Amino acid sequence: MPPVISVRDLTKTYQVGTHSVHALRSISLDIEQGEFVAVIGPSGSGKSTLMHILGCLDQPTSGQYFLTGRDVSRLSDDEISLVRNQQIGFVFQGFNLLTRTSALENVELPLLYGATDLSAAERRKRAMAALTSVGLESRWDHHTNQLSGGQQQRVAIARALLNNPSILLADEPTGNLDSKTSVEVMEIFQMLQRERGITIVLITHELNVAQYGSRLISFKDGDIVSDTSNADRRHASGELSDMAAMSDVTEGVA
Amino acid sequence: MAWRTSWLIAVRSLRRNKLQTALTMLGMTIGVATVLTMISLGSGAQKAIQEQVKAAGMNMLVVTAGNFQARKERPPDDAIEMGALRYADPSNKPRLVMAAFHPEDDPFAVHDHQTARSRLGDSEAGLGSAATLTMADSEAIRKLSGVQYVCGGVHENVHVVSGDTRWFTRIHGDDSTLPEIRRSWKFTAGDFFSERQERNKDQVVVLGTVVATKLFGEANPVGKTISLWKQPFKVIGVVTSSSWMVTPVEGDDQFDAVYIPVTTMHSLLNLSKLNDIAITTQSTGEVTKVENTVTTLLRTRHGIGPDKADDFTVASQAAKALSSGGLRPDVASAVTGNVNGLEKVTLDQIGKTLDKSSRTMSALLASIATVSLIVGGIGIMNIMMLSVTERTREIGIRRAVGARANDILLQFILESVTLSLAGGLLGIVIGVLGAVAISRSVQWSTSVSLPSVALSFGISAAIGIFFGYYPAREASKVAPLTSLRFE
Repeated sequence: MPPVISVRDLTKTYQVGTHSVHALRSISLDIEQGEFVAVIGPSGSGKSTLMHILGCLDQPTSGQYFLTGRDVSRLSDDEISLVRNQQIGFVFQGFNLLTRTSALENVELPLLYGATDLSAAERRKRAMAALTSVGLESRWDHHTNQLSGGQQQRVAIARALLNNPSILLADEPTGNLDSKTSVEVMEIFQMLQRERGITIVLITHELNVAQYGSRLISFKDGDIVSDTSNADRRHASGELSDMAAMSDVTEGVA
Repeated sequence: MAWRTSWLIAVRSLRRNKLQTALTMLGMTIGVATVLTMISLGSGAQKAIQEQVKAAGMNMLVVTAGNFQARKERPPDDAIEMGALRYADPSNKPRLVMAAFHPEDDPFAVHDHQTARSRLGDSEAGLGSAATLTMADSEAIRKLSGVQYVCGGVHENVHVVSGDTRWFTRIHGDDSTLPEIRRSWKFTAGDFFSERQERNKDQVVVLGTVVATKLFGEANPVGKTISLWKQPFKVIGVVTSSSWMVTPVEGDDQFDAVYIPVTTMHSLLNLSKLNDIAITTQSTGEVTKVENTVTTLLRTRHGIGPDKADDFTVASQAAKALSSGGLRPDVASAVTGNVNGLEKVTLDQIGKTLDKSSRTMSALLASIATVSLIVGGIGIMNIMMLSVTERTREIGIRRAVGARANDILLQFILESVTLSLAGGLLGIVIGVLGAVAISRSVQWSTSVSLPSVALSFGISAAIGIFFGYYPAREASKVAPLTSLRFE
């Protein structure tokens, strides 16, 4: 079985005025099925550019990108759109949900595009199932502004998972969340990796968030500095039950 | 991708921006409502002119028995001048009346009109009194193309008796189609007799309003019985004028008169002739044509050879109206002032002039309406352009979850089409209501036709596509990445 993501000599150069900025300098990388890869690096290191190319939102200047064995670096816009729809799930820092729209309709969104032509009832059923898997089934009819940041990010995760993508790309998913909610989101990610074998690529500039991943890749100046498996991995579910215990104690004291 | 889904997407995003949607629709609604109201006013005016032309009898021909054309004939050179009459009455200014008589009119001369002689052999072959027209002629005319209604008539004088009240008046034996020809009639009570009553030779009578007042005062005469020629007749209706131009007075031929079925009159008086046949044409422009075919038909039916004169006279009402001053003075002077030789004015010319002027008005109204539609369309474009910038992020989200550029294009076009169609439909409703309201309150005639509704609907759809396309294309060109970065 080929790696889910296979990148060869990937280069991205932006033209800013007269001089060119090398966002990626000949990156080669393989990510296997079921890995939880955390890409870490300071801002401007090229990790976001990598994520955009991996998510088919942007195309490389040169090099090849094989997604589940297929070269997607030179596809037409329509084909790329279908790849994004069927194979890639996004979770963004700013949630990127449609405003004034219910959670259910947000989750349904990917089903409205792409090749599949489902009935309204079927779409609804699948969207509800996705909402249930992130624990938000009771809030399906809430609009996004009626949901907390953590809940909004869970809606975004449900949406990303809807078409059973090959990879889940998360760009600073905890950037707008407090620490407890961040752990909750990480718990969902780890659960998805553990129970459903979903391949996750997490982009972050915070090492403590990156530590939830099973593999750590650090970036600097458009190049991979290190690529190691994470020896002391953090486990979100354990931390959550500790936190629960802590709050029980403090509440007991008070 | 299925259209249903695209439409769902479009409707959902319109629902997200209810206020914006409503305001944009409002522009469209006003535009379409204006168009529809204007068109209906325009075509209403056109119809009103047609109606007035018809009411004035412009589409009417009267075939009269006999051929006596005093007005058209110049006194021949050998006419005998009978002298002058002087009024001694001091209230009248003395004036000289010249009377010229044709030798044929000499009461002592033998009448020499060829057809009159062959048919009647008497000296009274004057206008209307010759028995040259029959019911069969009227039936034959009815079958000609371009003919709308035909009504044969017999006219006499009669004593109308109700109890002790008597009134000497005109009696008209007519076909049941008469009210269709007399456009300016209205029935204050009851109705005209039916075709069936005519067929059955029923003894029913319709009173002119003057007669009704004379006999019954203010009471409703319908259902009462009067007698004509000592025969009982049941009153079934009272007729009066609906036109401000004609006021019923004693001695007039229409409302100081009673109407009975021509068949009843024929059988009671043992007659078979018709004094005249009134004909209306389907359009005012066809009067001259119908006049010619009627003449040909009657000549054939009466067996009149090519070198012989007609034994009937076909006259059009319009020619009469123009020469007798039935038109308003300013209209008449405008018509006569612009046409060389009044006799050359044909009905077609009058009809076409009126049509042209009302069409000019329709075009004017339509162009005003078009401006308001364009304003509505630009409103849609404006909002859509604005929303492309405003919704860059939304576009990015949709692109990220797999929307193709074409899906975005379709969504934005469908949004604007939905907007304009929904606005347009609302506009049609408001426009129709507006037209009705105008005709009710200001008494202007309006006419909402199916084509004008279809036109408004089509225009709003076209505007949606036309003004929605550019913004939609802009939206579809937004790259997914830039739109996601857009805050």
